[in-house]
Amino acid sequence: MTVRTADQSQTDMRPPVSIKGTKGGLLFLLDEKAPHKDIVEHLQRLLCGDLASLFNGPEVAVYVDYGARDCSREEIREILHLFLEKDNFRVREFGQDTTARKMMFHNHREPGRPHSIYRGTVRAGQQLLFDGDVVVIGDVNPGGEIAATGDIYVLGRLRGLAHAGCQGDEQAIIAAAEFAPMQLRIANWVSRAPETDGRPLRTTMEFAYLREDGMAVDKLMYVQSVRPEWAFHPAE
Amino acid sequence: MGTAMVITSGKGGVGKTTSTANIGTALALLGKRVCLIDADIGLRNLDVVMGLENRIIYDIVDVATGQCRLEQALIRDKRFDGLALLPASQTKDKSALDAERVRTIVAELKQAFDFVVIDCPAGIEHGFQVATAGADEAIVVTTPETAAVRDADRVIGLLEKSGLRSPKLVINRIRPKMVRAGDMLDIDEIVQVLSIDLLGVVPDDETVIAHNIKGEPTVLRNDAKASQAYRNIARRILGDAVPLMVLEEEPGVFARMRRLFGGRR
Repeated sequence: MTVRTADQSQTDMRPPVSIKGTKGGLLFLLDEKAPHKDIVEHLQRLLCGDLASLFNGPEVAVYVDYGARDCSREEIREILHLFLEKDNFRVREFGQDTTARKMMFHNHREPGRPHSIYRGTVRAGQQLLFDGDVVVIGDVNPGGEIAATGDIYVLGRLRGLAHAGCQGDEQAIIAAAEFAPMQLRIANWVSRAPETDGRPLRTTMEFAYLREDGMAVDKLMYVQSVRPEWAFHPAE
Repeated sequence: MGTAMVITSGKGGVGKTTSTANIGTALALLGKRVCLIDADIGLRNLDVVMGLENRIIYDIVDVATGQCRLEQALIRDKRFDGLALLPASQTKDKSALDAERVRTIVAELKQAFDFVVIDCPAGIEHGFQVATAGADEAIVVTTPETAAVRDADRVIGLLEKSGLRSPKLVINRIRPKMVRAGDMLDIDEIVQVLSIDLLGVVPDDETVIAHNIKGEPTVLRNDAKASQAYRNIARRILGDAVPLMVLEEEPGVFARMRRLFGGRR
């Protein structure tokens, strides 16, 4: 019996070249760990073999990123030639660490982005800053400020100031169960809350929990009475 | 071993001193030994509200600097055996006290009294730090105004940071008519924003001012609504489950408050 590790099976299954469709054209990502020979073979099959007709058609912008691989000038030239042979390919970028690749990862966001959970009320005068995304279990009161380099989710009333993507990430979002912020900031944009004819939206988030006499539903602000160990962690 | 409670608000003029005098006196009325401390150095006024001004010889700064013993500075209230006052200094300023000395004084008083009630100065600077230093519990006083609630929120944040974990809330000077007309924040709204336990609601009552002038805490009178509210607060501090009183003949308010009070149990 052979046991294959997850790692092995992955490299076996994944082709040495992956193709991503981007807004401007096609991005070819060459596996930087695969041997040069495999890459050339794979590309030849792809671009000149049976499947080559897939890539025929109107002109298309092509971006090739071969990653941080060790290769000679000849090897690189060999790969480039394969792309130049296709009539309808317009090679826009060819190299490692291309902007096309960076854009790709920027849009998809790295999965390992840090996230935090803040339990408690962000009170007037408190300023909290988080790296990555943050979930606030509690309210952000008027005069309180919460900032994160990523997204902000408030499971309570957002009535203070929230600044998502505070280091310039314009993709960041701000969410709240009750949305009545004093001011909103995303990256370098500043805005005030959408006004709902003067009155804030009346919604309350609730949570269910078990008691001796059965199930109970209460406002989320009382979650600490069920989980005393959650009683706020004051910010330093 | 007694409990030390600091009464604070952040904003000035919301009724810290009046609340200190009345809660302290109400606890004494219930047979507890109570010592009031005026920590508002330089702006001494708890003694005036208590009507004990003319008996001051030494004050808290004299105790802290070692110019007299603690017992010499304590003023026994002639109306109750168990009630005493440690007055603030009128002439020295706030820098005359530091947190460590106040902590020692409060710890000493806790040996002899069931409750040590500390009247905190307004603001969040040195005076606030000193007044809260020796406290085990905190009562935050606010009025139904946006500015007072905002300052109370700030103060609660600071109290939690300094380890005074679950401060209690007293909403002072509420006017049911204005609340109903929507001209004043309602109790529900304030408790939701501050999200701490509500200890009591004191109605706005002109007789409080009249009693302050006479140097007589309102709780000593039976005729005032505020008096009943402060007595209820004292009973809740002792652990009795007293329902919030009806401020006016309006069923809506009562139902709302009962729900609030029941929600935390």
